[in-house]
Amino acid sequence: MSGLSRRQFLAAGGGAALAAAMAGCGSPVVTSFTGGQPRTADVIYWHLFGGGDGKNMTKMVKKYEQTSGRSVEATLLSWGNPYYTKLSLSASSGRPPDVAISHLSRLPLLAQAGLLDPVADQFSAQGITPDKFTPAAWEKATVDGTPYAVPLDTHPFVLFYNTALAEKAGLLDATGENLKPMNNSDDFVAALQALKDANGSKYAAVASITADPSTCWRFFMMIYSGLAGPIVSQGGTEVTIDRSAMEHTFAFMQSLTQEKGLMPSNATSTTTTTLFSQGGVGFLFDGEWQIPTYRDVKSLDFNVVPFPALLGPKPVAYADSHSLVIPRSSRRSAERTDDAVRFIKGLLDESSIWADGGHVPAWLPVQQSQEFVNLKPQSNYTQAAFNAVYDPPGWYTGAGSDFQTAMGSVIASVLTGGTDPASGVDAMTASLQTFSTARPPV
Amino acid sequence: MTATAIPTSATGVDVQVRPETARGAARGHNRAGWLFATPFLVLYVAFLIGPVLIGLVISLFNTTTVKSGVGSWVGLSNYAEVLSQKDFWASMWHSVLFTLLTTPLLVLLPLLFAILASRMARKQWFFRLAFFAPYVVPSSAVCLIFAFMYTPETGLITNAFSWVGLTAPDFFGSTSGAWFAVVLLTLWWTFGFNFILYTAAIQEMSEEIYEAAAIDGAGPWQQIRMITIPLLRPTMGLVLMLQVLASLKVFDQIYILLAGGPAYSTRPVIQYIYDTGFTAYRGGYAAAATMVYFVILVVISAVWFLARRRNNPAKV
Amino acid sequence: MDQAGKLFNRLAATCVTLFALIWLIPFLWALITSLRPNDEIAAHPTRPWSNNWNLDAYRSAWNSSPLGWWYVNSFIISTLTVVFTVVVCSMAAFALVHLDFRGKYAVFALILAGLMLPTEALVLPQFMEFRALNLLGTYWAVILPSIALPVAVFVFHSFIKAIPIPLIEAARLDGASWWRIYLQVVMPLCRPAISAVAILTFITSWNAFLWPLLVLTQTKSQTVTVGLSSLVGGAAIQYAETMASAVLGILPLLAVFLLLQRQIAQGVANTGIK
Repeated sequence: MSGLSRRQFLAAGGGAALAAAMAGCGSPVVTSFTGGQPRTADVIYWHLFGGGDGKNMTKMVKKYEQTSGRSVEATLLSWGNPYYTKLSLSASSGRPPDVAISHLSRLPLLAQAGLLDPVADQFSAQGITPDKFTPAAWEKATVDGTPYAVPLDTHPFVLFYNTALAEKAGLLDATGENLKPMNNSDDFVAALQALKDANGSKYAAVASITADPSTCWRFFMMIYSGLAGPIVSQGGTEVTIDRSAMEHTFAFMQSLTQEKGLMPSNATSTTTTTLFSQGGVGFLFDGEWQIPTYRDVKSLDFNVVPFPALLGPKPVAYADSHSLVIPRSSRRSAERTDDAVRFIKGLLDESSIWADGGHVPAWLPVQQSQEFVNLKPQSNYTQAAFNAVYDPPGWYTGAGSDFQTAMGSVIASVLTGGTDPASGVDAMTASLQTFSTARPPV
Repeated sequence: MTATAIPTSATGVDVQVRPETARGAARGHNRAGWLFATPFLVLYVAFLIGPVLIGLVISLFNTTTVKSGVGSWVGLSNYAEVLSQKDFWASMWHSVLFTLLTTPLLVLLPLLFAILASRMARKQWFFRLAFFAPYVVPSSAVCLIFAFMYTPETGLITNAFSWVGLTAPDFFGSTSGAWFAVVLLTLWWTFGFNFILYTAAIQEMSEEIYEAAAIDGAGPWQQIRMITIPLLRPTMGLVLMLQVLASLKVFDQIYILLAGGPAYSTRPVIQYIYDTGFTAYRGGYAAAATMVYFVILVVISAVWFLARRRNNPAKV
Repeated sequence: MDQAGKLFNRLAATCVTLFALIWLIPFLWALITSLRPNDEIAAHPTRPWSNNWNLDAYRSAWNSSPLGWWYVNSFIISTLTVVFTVVVCSMAAFALVHLDFRGKYAVFALILAGLMLPTEALVLPQFMEFRALNLLGTYWAVILPSIALPVAVFVFHSFIKAIPIPLIEAARLDGASWWRIYLQVVMPLCRPAISAVAILTFITSWNAFLWPLLVLTQTKSQTVTVGLSSLVGGAAIQYAETMASAVLGILPLLAVFLLLQRQIAQGVANTGIK
């Protein structure tokens, strides 16, 4: 029967493929049957970097493989909630990757859920000790007194400026490499006004507001954190908003887009990029990871510096950090853990490649090296990494979280003029209540 | 079907009868019956009934999905919280809305086309192929293709709108555009299943009725109206029931194509459970949401089921 | 047939054929896109023709994700699920039809109730259960919950019921054990049921998304369906590669479908009606 021979052929083909796949105990097929630790490479590594950062990460991984002779299986996963959900699912299945990336702002939940191995002796044996990192980052990597992550970088929210337009407005200092010092919000607003007047442009600065709650949140946090402490505390269960500080912040932000007309109240990320690239505005408020976007624009000469002190006495930078974590697995051998720690050290050593994407390396030996100090504009805002304020620690906060989206939406409506500052504070409080009253899972 | 050789006695009449008592036979039946049924029952109880019970238990505790153990006792407060959450009811509404949007299309259009296709003697295989092939495609592949066709400015479907003089909706940025996108995708993907059901039912209709009607001078449209559609009513009922139940459990396409967006405005219930239970680790809370949703679905299933039994007492 | 009738039929034919062709468009579009170079797609996004047909996208798609592993995993899981489901459900159906055991009607009612259980909604408790059993991350976590299928039991039930009782009685009188009757009498006569259940279980298992997403997280242990979903919304400009991955993901089941069209359609019809 033709049917039978076809079936036989299929069965034979399938069997052959299966035999090939099962060759070797570390084969994923075998471990999927037995529930063993997957051993498809010496180090299994998950990250969420696409685009330019992704290319840099691939370079770093390859370099490590070459110098150490170890194999690394790196997998790129979608940024945000899907990544963290997947990481937690795999950790709870007992077969997680050996090394994974985590934003420091997302660390509290992961650590308190018991999904990570603490950073302990094995790390110090490789030379990974607290004194070798940006203090702000190391502090953020510590949860309940124990460090759970090794910071890789700090990526702050910074001030981009168009050199030509700034010069025309008389804002550059003597060296021409930096802006004249600004000490408070009045200086800042005056600078914006000067930009607008000297260049005859409609706006002085731009930030991506429409459909970008994360940017709104970062913008807000940078200003508010100069005035007051975290908006939630006790792991996110208590709302600790400083009403007057928040109203003051909202009023200031709204004045920029509404009364003073210094910034557009509606800007998508595309319009933002276009405006700054084509010299439509002199200042851009965005994260340093956008540097590669503008680096290749031929006609644009720009520089990046930390924000000055605005409403508070000292300059403050809103930032987050990428860090490396080892998910907990009882089935991981000591050998593999050792490989994982070495891999982490390897990445730290290569973090000057990582800095190319605009980030400030958290590993001080690289950060203080001549190579990085010479790297412009990254080395301009190293101070921002030291003054970094992160998301308030809590089980629902962090990069890409619903919390940031919810907060960002309220802030966006203040920026667009849809909500006045006082109502904005009420809206923030109400929104925070839903988060803070939910029973924490950890 | 090929006939298998069955051991029969040589004479066929003089059968050797072993002396078995009635109770012995019953015991043999009992043991054999349980032996045959046990594998199924074990798996059924363990993995179908088990989760229901586990869900009930967990919903009364503050369980962390990723930690072992059930956590602290909280009684019914998870249920109180679920039932008072705007987001939960929003997601329930989204699942219902999806059902309302897709069910009429997926019950009536396949009917129409099955009837029209049945008027053709040949090429049945072509229709079956074209309409049913999408059904075997995995949801993620369908979403990959449609996401590409929905690309703003350059996508095929986006451009198709401008070819007929309309502006394409914002498929990923606006809620109505998102619903359009996911409904169209679902229509393409699952049309074939109902089409096959209708076609099979039509094929079972006897030719004689149609011949008699034709002799009586009934035109094709009259035949359809008077014969085909009334005879298809039970199948329509079946398709409606299956469609409603399947649509209420939607997850794949909305999650993969839209991530429940924009801004969770299309998030169905199962994704709500996924987000609270697996992204936020709130196991007890998500279990309570699961139980509420589960009860609602079982009630709807039971209502349909009993209604069907009442209408078709012959079938199971 | 009169003029109106013929006209109607021709209109119907045209209408349906047109729609059937439209229905094929997504397949064709994915295929065409996967064979064109990316810059050509960017320049002429809606042109269904290319001057440079090539297979580069397939090579690149194959190398950029562990599609080969995904195929193997999907194949193993689906095949094992089919085998177990056919065996276990047919055994249960056989017991319900021919064997008189205590509690039979309770079991029957229980399985009937199972038809109404929305099992997809139970992913969270299922996850906790498999976590406690330490089976997360293994094939078993995906296979085991899919085996006990009330629908399959009923499909087998109606087929087994249709087997003439004298056949069974004759075999029984000859001293055949129930197991032999099941294997040698009943199962061979149930081929349509076996093929219906096997095909539909294979398709359902292959296309399953949410549960394998939760359970099989290691990249090389994933199934095709879950693996492909990680490509959605990803490389925005690598159109050809993305479509090539989609085509590669569709191929196995589409091949099965093209080979077994008639059986699949029959299987759907039978299962639905049950």
